[in-house]
Amino acid sequence: MKQRIKGLHLEPLWWGLFSAGGVCFAVLVPSVVLVFGLLWPLGVVDVSFTTLQSWYQSLWGLVFTAVVISLPAFHAAHRIRHGLHDMKIGYGGSTTAFVCYGSAMVVTALGVIAWWSA
Amino acid sequence: MTQPRTCYVDISRYDPERGDQYPTMQRVQVPYDDSTSVLDVLQYVKEQVDSSLSYRWSCRMAICGSCGVMVNGIPKLGCKDFVRDYVAHKGVGRDHAANDAPALTIEPLAHFTGERDLVVNMDEFLTHLEAVKPYIIDPASRPNNPSAATHSQTPAQLARYQQFANCINCGLCYAACPQFGLNPEFVGPAAIALAHRYNLDSRDHGKHERMQVLNTHDGVWSCTFVGFCSDVCPKGVDPAAAVNQGKVESAKSMLIQLFKGSSIGDSRS
Amino acid sequence: MSYKPELTGRWWLKHGHFKRYMLREATVIPLVFLLCSLLAGVFSLQDVERFSQWQAYMAHPLVIIGHTVALGAALYHAATFFVLFPRVMPIRIANYTLPARLMVAGQWAAVLAVALLCLWLVTGGRV
Repeated sequence: MKQRIKGLHLEPLWWGLFSAGGVCFAVLVPSVVLVFGLLWPLGVVDVSFTTLQSWYQSLWGLVFTAVVISLPAFHAAHRIRHGLHDMKIGYGGSTTAFVCYGSAMVVTALGVIAWWSA
Repeated sequence: MTQPRTCYVDISRYDPERGDQYPTMQRVQVPYDDSTSVLDVLQYVKEQVDSSLSYRWSCRMAICGSCGVMVNGIPKLGCKDFVRDYVAHKGVGRDHAANDAPALTIEPLAHFTGERDLVVNMDEFLTHLEAVKPYIIDPASRPNNPSAATHSQTPAQLARYQQFANCINCGLCYAACPQFGLNPEFVGPAAIALAHRYNLDSRDHGKHERMQVLNTHDGVWSCTFVGFCSDVCPKGVDPAAAVNQGKVESAKSMLIQLFKGSSIGDSRS
Repeated sequence: MSYKPELTGRWWLKHGHFKRYMLREATVIPLVFLLCSLLAGVFSLQDVERFSQWQAYMAHPLVIIGHTVALGAALYHAATFFVLFPRVMPIRIANYTLPARLMVAGQWAAVLAVALLCLWLVTGGRV
């Protein structure tokens, strides 16, 4: 067992989540922010409550939570952690990492709770 | 013949034997034409202005990797970087001389310990390079094993690593890498690129030994893909790509270790 | 005897490449703002009243400005992220490496496809 976990750490996991989140941020987020952040508030398109709710309550709502909220949150956490290191801000690697990835986990949990209770 | 154009150059000077605590700038006026390299400027200064100037150089043709310096804050090979690219054309160089503003500022490579003038302690890079064992490891082909087969390789096998084999160990990528500047323990671009080069080599069997270095926090995982290392590389190695391909390899190797209980390429597996 | 100049936390202000790098890293700041808005949105889907409150919040001029910045950040992130992909995971089929430009173009095509799908969902198609 000792040999099995010798020298292992979580960086590959964080990097994997960062990369997956980066793809979602680049490919999916532009459309989401275009529709819900600009076109809908400006009245260009209309999104009704009932259609949105029924769509969100299906499994698609959970998929949306994963790829548009959770993974980009891990992407952001990773970049903020390294950005703080770059700017020499913070008390040290593990504390910053704990706060950043912890926040992304909280965001994920909130997203799942919202879907579950919807 | 017209008068040679001249420009001003600031050169970082530091001589601990003279009691210098920090480097200071020395401004010199130098002649140049379209073929004058930064290394030529340094040669001129040493021969005509101040023979105490120290800098490293050898081949003058971008293959020995000795003459790396910072030119206006960017890592460059002195022999491959030209004054003409810093002074505007059509005699504006003379205006540079007139208003005394330096066209070039030449400093030692960033992120390394300065030892004298433009000479830095390259051991800080070479220890990392040694750590990744940048040579073919093949237990079956020791000199005392006459039955060992020759190392044959197809062009396709060569193509897998060829790009990463062009490194000349000049250290420009370390001077370009803020992660190395922030953390000198980071194995760094060139060493990881060379580790990756040997890991990709079909004749090599040393991946397991190298992955132990690359898997650490100071290995591939210190990199944030700033990418400047690849921009300054005089040989087009793209060390940033190598380091980040190394992250994929490191993730695989750690996952395999977790499930199999022994790491990738391990002779016991 | 020697000297070692130490990097300050402001090393990235030294030249353009480092500033563009920091801008790339900073694209996650408007992203965090957007994620907060979206999280509020999914919680508001529980009843109509809260949903109309969220709609009003989303239509606030400052919020629209924030989301416009987020759109710009997402596109800048995409532009920097897509060119890294062929370098980190070059795709080799037999002895042929897929050209990097093709891989970058493919990723932009995906962005466009998702945008068209979203617009179709909220306009043409019955959502």
